[in-house]
Amino acid sequence: MSKGKKSFSFALAMLTAFALVLSACGGGNKDAESSGSGSSGSSEKPVNLIWYTIGTPQKDVDKVMAEVSKYTQEKINATVTMKMIDWGDYQQKMQVNVASGEPMDIMFTSAGGFDYVQNARKGAFMELDDLLDKYGQGIKDTIDPAFLEGSKVDGHNYGIPANKELPQQEVWRFNQNLVDKYKLDTSNVRSLDSIEPLLKAIKEKEPNVTPFAMDKNYVPYVPYDYIIQNLPMAVKLDTTDYKIVDILETPEMKQALTTMHKYYQAGYVAPEAATTGSTSDLMTSGNWFMDRAQTQPLADNTWSASYGYPVKSTPASDAIITNTSVQGSIMAISANSEHPEKAMEFLNLLNTDPVLRNMVDSGIEGTHYKKVDDKHIENLPEGKNYDMPSYSLGNNMLLYLNPNDPDDKWEQFKKFNAEGKDSPILSFNFDSTKVATEMAAVQNVKEQFWASLMTGTVDPETYLPKAIAAFKQAGLDKVIAEAQTQLDAWKAANNK
Amino acid sequence: MAAFFKNLIRNKVMLFMVLPGAIWFFFFSYLPLVGTIVAFKQYRFNREGFWASISKSEWVGWDNFKFLFSTNDAYTITRNTLLYNLAFIILGLILSVAMAVLLSELVGKTMAKIYQTGMFLPYFLSWVIVGYFAFSFLSMDRGMINQILGWFGAEPVQWYSDPKYWPYILVFVSLWKSVGYNSVVYLASIMGIDKSLYEAAMIDGASKWQQIKNITIPMLSPIIIIMTLLAVGRIFYADFGLFYQVPRDSGTLYSVTNVIDTYVYRGLKTTGEIGMSTAAGLYQSVVGFVLVIVSNFVVRKIDKDSALF
Repeated sequence: MSKGKKSFSFALAMLTAFALVLSACGGGNKDAESSGSGSSGSSEKPVNLIWYTIGTPQKDVDKVMAEVSKYTQEKINATVTMKMIDWGDYQQKMQVNVASGEPMDIMFTSAGGFDYVQNARKGAFMELDDLLDKYGQGIKDTIDPAFLEGSKVDGHNYGIPANKELPQQEVWRFNQNLVDKYKLDTSNVRSLDSIEPLLKAIKEKEPNVTPFAMDKNYVPYVPYDYIIQNLPMAVKLDTTDYKIVDILETPEMKQALTTMHKYYQAGYVAPEAATTGSTSDLMTSGNWFMDRAQTQPLADNTWSASYGYPVKSTPASDAIITNTSVQGSIMAISANSEHPEKAMEFLNLLNTDPVLRNMVDSGIEGTHYKKVDDKHIENLPEGKNYDMPSYSLGNNMLLYLNPNDPDDKWEQFKKFNAEGKDSPILSFNFDSTKVATEMAAVQNVKEQFWASLMTGTVDPETYLPKAIAAFKQAGLDKVIAEAQTQLDAWKAANNK
Repeated sequence: MAAFFKNLIRNKVMLFMVLPGAIWFFFFSYLPLVGTIVAFKQYRFNREGFWASISKSEWVGWDNFKFLFSTNDAYTITRNTLLYNLAFIILGLILSVAMAVLLSELVGKTMAKIYQTGMFLPYFLSWVIVGYFAFSFLSMDRGMINQILGWFGAEPVQWYSDPKYWPYILVFVSLWKSVGYNSVVYLASIMGIDKSLYEAAMIDGASKWQQIKNITIPMLSPIIIIMTLLAVGRIFYADFGLFYQVPRDSGTLYSVTNVIDTYVYRGLKTTGEIGMSTAAGLYQSVVGFVLVIVSNFVVRKIDKDSALF
């Protein structure tokens, strides 16, 4: 027994010693940090910015970043290391990276991946108000002010949104080959009910084609804006009283779900839609007739080019500016950044300097792409080693155009942005801290019912009441009440 | 202290041999124990790093545990977790031991090796792949089972939206994957049984069945008890891959596929509340720990030599 006790105390001593060593290491780091951030003179050693962003890791990232660093060292005396994390892993890995204090300066965040608002509230990002005034003047001048306004959390900016399409608009996309083959008329299509004759025609004539392609994230369009994406709390777009309702209890949603179930039973929807993660194999094979997507100007060109066959779209909703669309792509500065000033200078340069922005986007001229004229570029074979998602990396309107883009592409974007209508709850961000317990429970109910209801897999006559009851039991009413209180306060503060 | 060092020196070779394992356990099992503190905090990031984040986060007492018990989901997931694991332990034990005995009795050793390898193989497959195997059988429009049903003129079954089949499917898939591995463990200890026991039994005219019943099974019982105790300790841990990948995360099946691990994952993957995930993990560990202690206590009462400690 005494032997056991002794070895235990020995282990305890080891543990303490180890903890001491660890904390000593931490202390050392902090010293280095403070000496690094204190200096910003140009004769100083350049600082290295660590930049986490989303997308499939590319082979030539380091090579391109070496070039980028040469350029930025000259301009702002900073070098850049980019770390890419693949689409599916981004949220989870960043959660861990941030929680464990991994060194980083700049990171991608958005309403969809690595949630911007929640993480801003948790303290993952640095508040940028002062930095923006001091080093971000260029950003303020170039980016549509609606972006900076719409990405404020509790009145402060925590990130720099990418300047791109501002509203979000749903469209029906059609596989034009099939439309032409059967001479179908898509001009009168708009509502969910209006597509039925088209689906029916395709189902009869092309039994091997999926008439209505969708994955498990599909949600029928209803004219509401969600408080939190894909949770059943929403405000009607033409609201006057700013009342938050359970979307499942609205007549519009009930009608839409009934229609979806009718389509599902008629075989217009793939039987496994509710568990399908992606429709990309359908897109590759071309064995689909229509689906719903979010659009931007000239999107048809982009889709057609990427699928290799013509795709055309018609609107399924108005163009609405919502939090989700405004917060679709943001670069934030990490709360633990050692060089927040430099990071801000870099973001400013990235959003205003076409040379830097295009280098980050398309790689090295002559290696990854070549210029066709002063606006258009063409990818070289090496380009596939550096194929970046343009939307995520900063101001889109500085980018070179693809060979078949019209010269006025970015003017069309600006026009599209100007025409978008504001959602009534634009820039209201719900703080769910007080109802965190209920949120976790509600989330589970959502996972249970959402996909099968939305894709029409189950009959809303029986399942909708079940889902509504389950949400209530999980505490949705309490969450809605809390959200309503916050929304009322926000409404009063903003004179709506 | 002197006795401690003397002891250390005397056993230095043995201690040196366990050193890698001990170091591994220290870093990956004991050191992270400090992190359970997060279960009682509202975790907020701090720019000074991980330790500062932990120490500066606000204490919230038991708040993080509430979500586990806030709905009657708690009942469903606890029931599913326990009952499935019980089924896996009991059926797994019976099947693995039976397979091991059968394999050991096979005369053709080449065939025995082939069977053994064939049964062992699924153990190495990832759940994602097993999930797709299952899908190729159960897919609504292209699955093998529905096609076969079609030949007999039966209606196709919507496997992924009908919960009533899933308890059987999950148990079957789980056993298919694990039995091969466990039977090898039992086979190894059967091989270690003194052959003279069987010779003596044969001279006394014992049949094969009597030999198995009176020699093999009793000789196996220590390893059976250890394996079972270890499994009982993990009875509160569901195999995430099995319950998430194989039913393809289909919402309509949750009443029979939702277990603690998937519940926690779904609830927290979007909210990202680290405190709550830690709380759930701690709850699982504590219950698992209690179960091991209790079952070991029970084993001790029955047969002192077979107990783990």
